[in-house]
Amino acid sequence: MAEFTAAVYQNEFLADGGTDVNAIVTVTCKGAGTAGQAGSGAAGEIIIVDTSGSMGPATMAGAKEAAQAALAEIVDGTWFAVIAGADRAMLAYPQVSSGPGMTRMDAKARQDAADAIGRFIGSGGTAISTWLDLAGQLFNSVPEVTQRHVLLLTDGENRERPGRLDEAINRATGFFQADCRGAGTDWQVAEIRRIAQALLGTVDIIPRPAEMKAQFEEIMRKAMARGVADANLRVWTPQGAQVLFVRQVSPTVEDLTARRTPVNPLTGDYPTGAWSDEARDYHVAIRVPAKAIGQEQLAARVQLALGDDVVTQALVKATWSNNSELTTRIDRQVAHYTGQAELADMIQEGLAAKAAGDEATATTKLGRAVQLAAETGNDEATSKLKKVVDVDNEKEGTVRLKRSVEKADEMALDTASTKTTRIRKEPS
Amino acid sequence: MTCPSCGASVAAGARFCESCGAQLGQPDAVPAAAVTVEDHPLGDAPISAPTRKPASALPDPPPVGRRPCGECGGDVGPDLYCLECGTKAPSERDHFREQPASWVAGVCDKGVGKSRNEDAMALLAAPEPGSRAVLVVMDGVSNSVDSDVASLAGARAAREVLRMPLPAGMGTTQGRQAAGAKVLADATAAANTAIVAVTDPDSPNPASATFSAAVLEGRQVSWANIGDSRTYWIPDAGTPLQLSIDDSVAQEQMAAGTPREVAETGPQAHAITKWLGRDSEDFVPSVGTLEVIESGWLLACSDGLWNYCSTPEAMADQVRAAATSDPAALALALVAFANASGGHDNITAALARVDLGHNDQTPTPAAAQGTPGGEPTDG
Repeated sequence: MAEFTAAVYQNEFLADGGTDVNAIVTVTCKGAGTAGQAGSGAAGEIIIVDTSGSMGPATMAGAKEAAQAALAEIVDGTWFAVIAGADRAMLAYPQVSSGPGMTRMDAKARQDAADAIGRFIGSGGTAISTWLDLAGQLFNSVPEVTQRHVLLLTDGENRERPGRLDEAINRATGFFQADCRGAGTDWQVAEIRRIAQALLGTVDIIPRPAEMKAQFEEIMRKAMARGVADANLRVWTPQGAQVLFVRQVSPTVEDLTARRTPVNPLTGDYPTGAWSDEARDYHVAIRVPAKAIGQEQLAARVQLALGDDVVTQALVKATWSNNSELTTRIDRQVAHYTGQAELADMIQEGLAAKAAGDEATATTKLGRAVQLAAETGNDEATSKLKKVVDVDNEKEGTVRLKRSVEKADEMALDTASTKTTRIRKEPS
Repeated sequence: MTCPSCGASVAAGARFCESCGAQLGQPDAVPAAAVTVEDHPLGDAPISAPTRKPASALPDPPPVGRRPCGECGGDVGPDLYCLECGTKAPSERDHFREQPASWVAGVCDKGVGKSRNEDAMALLAAPEPGSRAVLVVMDGVSNSVDSDVASLAGARAAREVLRMPLPAGMGTTQGRQAAGAKVLADATAAANTAIVAVTDPDSPNPASATFSAAVLEGRQVSWANIGDSRTYWIPDAGTPLQLSIDDSVAQEQMAAGTPREVAETGPQAHAITKWLGRDSEDFVPSVGTLEVIESGWLLACSDGLWNYCSTPEAMADQVRAAATSDPAALALALVAFANASGGHDNITAALARVDLGHNDQTPTPAAAQGTPGGEPTDG
């Protein structure tokens, strides 16, 4: 049985007249078990492989091997399917045309699915909306599957009328989760990130076909370890308060503010998807009406809810004080993650400016990113930034754009922009 | 051989345990399982427990459930914050209420300016309005250690002493007053003993507290006082009275002719000359009685309230401004008034409502002397 705990890191002291409360809430899950085996419903996995004509022989061979390796990680008894995606989506396994579009994994199904994958031939275009829609239909065809996860691999830009993909993403949002990977450098990071963020998954680049197998295995292993099918971050705020933002800040930065589902007038749910044994950090910012010096007030109850069950709770408080030693302190966690969120923005905006030919803006933003990465000790971001810019002064954030940059390095920086580092936890 | 009840070793052949007094070696005793609760109303209650309280003893105030939020009236969650507005609910020590009967109630509140509530209160009342009530208010001295614990222990100890009706002595007015004064002095001493009992023997700054008790029995009010908490009689129409006399520098100055407003705002205004606690030199209370001749309020309060309305007239103005006959509402209103006036100190207001019928304006000997407890009177 999964056990959740929550801890809050904040400086609860506000100066006279202060209204804004910031807190980092760490939610930790232990004993999650295996996907689909907690008794709350079955787990379903769908592997989508890009089979458009752009997939070169080496990439296609790598993708087949990776998809077959992913099959090996799917635990027996799990419902699964394989989709071949081009300008339309084809159900490659199980080969049925009616009834349930997924089947339970066993040795024979694993072999048959591997054989089907082995027959993939690249041809046609890329219409990712059709892939997502077919995945949705397949999940729908097996009502007992309640934990739905997709592993999606593409190598090219989506070629559809603008808006079609977003419509398909909207249909899938809240229904299934998707981890997305881009092979090579001909795909659009922003496009695939939109899918992954909406569907509560990850996005990354696989520059070389040889690296696919390991990545697929890892993604599927993680998916199978998510024994808690679906959870919401439930945030209560007092009457008259305003939620400024709710964002996940670790392991990646994901703004959840706009994804609130009201529970009652004072409470809203923010989706967090499935959980394995892991810890995630959330940055919650609340604006409350100021109270008199010495008053204490609850600014938020931050809970994790499985359906209607609240499994853990952290209290975010506000206490008004005229002791400036107390009120001017900024909590280390809050400062750290505020920096990490800005880092993600700076990298993404800097790269977008660079792509648009605005070198001045790109230099400023990526310079700020270098500074933030150093300040917050995000070594991964620092090393990836250094492949895109030459650093003159890390502390000041003065950089020069490199004249020749590997496209893959730029995309790797982009996909990694939302990954954050933790700092050592001390009760604030 | 050991005692089956407490495990102490006992001499062979002993019939009772020397340690716990349990009866030993009764193989022929009727098995306890055969005894049903219906057959034996006392059930398995220990034989030493009081099996019958005198009918005239006052019952404990009923326990109070979790109160709604003081700010918005919303429900308070199990985490002790309001479910609506998020206001932190005060701890039961920082704000508590007692209402032992419909006509007697009190509120003890931390106030705004203090970090903890060192005031304490303990009330008793018989259900019949106007019959018998006990109001005990204490104010822990804020520069002593653990005075919040001490004051509450003291107030409850005094309440126990005053649970039974005051004695009437030989039945004469003098005898009645002397016997009542003795019980009030006993109550004060019990409060003092309780304070000393909870005081760390090594404390360099032992807990100390004021003490103000008022007992209403029919039309008879008896009060006792140490320090500067107070008892007032606030009639609905007539002249209000401050019954207790402060043991304070301000009171001494007033006795010497300094006007009240000067004395009570001077630098020594809150220096008390008597108190309860380990370093108390004199804990014999000043006492007095009053026979009530019209409807009104008996009020016991701490200086957290009277600081803002010291004269009997000013206090009466606040009581009458509240315009309520509900003691709980009035206590809340007085505490709210003190908090709105600054709430610099802990605030306690305990009230008993006295309603005399319209055709019963003058006290009769029977009404004045007939105590509800059925004590012998000389009628």
